Amino acid sequence: MAFFLETLLGGLMSGMLYSLVALGFVLIFKASGVFNFAQGAMVLFAALSMARFSEWIPQWLGIDNLFMANVLAFAVSILVMFAVAWLVERLVLRHLVNQEGATLLMATLGIAYVLDGVGQTVFGSGIYKIDVGMPKEPVMMLESVFEGGILINKEDFVAAFISALLVVALSIFFQKTSTGRALRAVADDHQAAQSIGIPLNRIWVIVWCVAGITALVAGVIWGSKLGAQFSLSTVALRALPVVILGGLTSVPGAIIGGLIIGVGEKLSEVYLGPYVGGGIEIWFAYMLALVFLLFRPQGLFGEKIIDRV
Amino acid sequence: MSGRKIGEVILDLKNISLSFGGVKALQNISFDVREHEIRAIIGPNGAGKSSMLNVINGVYRPQEGDIILRGVHHANMDSYGAAKAGLARTFQNIALFKGMSVLDNIMTGRNLKMKANMLQQAIWFGVAQREELAHRLKVEEIIDFLEIQHIRKTPVGRLPYGLQKRVDLARALAMEPQILLLDEPMAGMNVEEKQDMCRFILDVNDQFGTTVVLIEHDMGVVMDISDRVVVLDYGKKIGDGTPDEVRANPDVISAYLGASH
Repeated sequence: MAFFLETLLGGLMSGMLYSLVALGFVLIFKASGVFNFAQGAMVLFAALSMARFSEWIPQWLGIDNLFMANVLAFAVSILVMFAVAWLVERLVLRHLVNQEGATLLMATLGIAYVLDGVGQTVFGSGIYKIDVGMPKEPVMMLESVFEGGILINKEDFVAAFISALLVVALSIFFQKTSTGRALRAVADDHQAAQSIGIPLNRIWVIVWCVAGITALVAGVIWGSKLGAQFSLSTVALRALPVVILGGLTSVPGAIIGGLIIGVGEKLSEVYLGPYVGGGIEIWFAYMLALVFLLFRPQGLFGEKIIDRV
Repeated sequence: MSGRKIGEVILDLKNISLSFGGVKALQNISFDVREHEIRAIIGPNGAGKSSMLNVINGVYRPQEGDIILRGVHHANMDSYGAAKAGLARTFQNIALFKGMSVLDNIMTGRNLKMKANMLQQAIWFGVAQREELAHRLKVEEIIDFLEIQHIRKTPVGRLPYGLQKRVDLARALAMEPQILLLDEPMAGMNVEEKQDMCRFILDVNDQFGTTVVLIEHDMGVVMDISDRVVVLDYGKKIGDGTPDEVRANPDVISAYLGASH
């Protein structure tokens, strides 16, 4: 039982991180109907920016304080992601208004390659350390309930907490502020939104900025675990099944989808793995997504697609 | 009509031509709209009425012609620009934000009037909150005016057609426009709903002094509430004047009844 709980918790925590990346997809898809293939590249770009600036800033300014260096690097990285958002709108999206979904998808594929390339040219292509002072040591919990307690990675715990916080902040922003309302309006109907005076271009920049922030947070968390390196850009591929599971248009869907995939991966690896020779973790999410596509193509929380004949 | 007084020309359309590939949707059309009047554009199906409205609203840019709004040339404006210039519109196939409540839909109409920046909104308390409340008050006025208090919190996707049309009008009114463009406001309504809509259009015009440009397919209703009427057929203007003049115009009669010359 203790072992089951341990696996479950581990799954939930890695699921939280999938949710974070999936959230980036959902935000952009909702507001502009663009399936943003570049989300993974944005995670990599943000992580590289964070890693390198936290290294460079102390050198440039002679700061010896790790905390200050991290705060400054984070602030600079936010600005970098805002600049990326602005450029994407200026150079790409603005020229593709009212184009087919497939055209836009291809455009984001292009953006992904540019970001990968530019990121590694500017920031370097090695593996860089992100040290934001995440606690590394594991802790024992619930020792009174189970013999020996359960082992939890403190780092995962903090990461899950930060992700949850970000998700809550974003949903409040979407529901309560007038910009949030404008974002939802644009997601619903571009033409109508524009004709009541919502500036489409500005909204798109805002959405990409928000997606940039989620990419940065995801990048910092994954980066501090695995190091900022090229493989980060493939976390987007891990988040794809999450989006299919949760529904492309649903913020809660992205979160719950992420949790289900995280837990499913871990549990299936542990309990089914021995029978098929292991390695389930790698393909489990995709299988689940395939099954969902067969029976519920709109995902768990997506809007049902009804066509009027 | 009570106290309202028809004023100067505020919207002047000159020699507008619009084509899509080989299809000439509008050919050399000119007419003007005076302040505070109700101006109707009528015509049979496919006459170019909606294209005309979309040109005024900046959705389409005409290949030729000039749009002069209060003395300013606006040939190249987009629909965001039109909204900023004080034009609001409703849609023929209701384009409300389906996932959102009636209240939220109408609040989006206040977007241009909101001044709080992103940072203030992120903090929410203070400036943004006060602003939200002030706009909410205005929106409640409009809700009362259009008698839709009871559906305030309902997601618009669940409302019947007639009420959706009313919410569409409410959202446009929330912009406090100088010119209100209505694209077939009475299409698909029953007699009772049509009467309600007529009453609202007249009230808006009378109480707020809003200039109304409306498109209708059905001649009967329009003739009763309009001050002047433009008649289009196959992208050409075939008549322009008071309802009585238009009714007596032989071209208009033949376009509508298909009579032989």
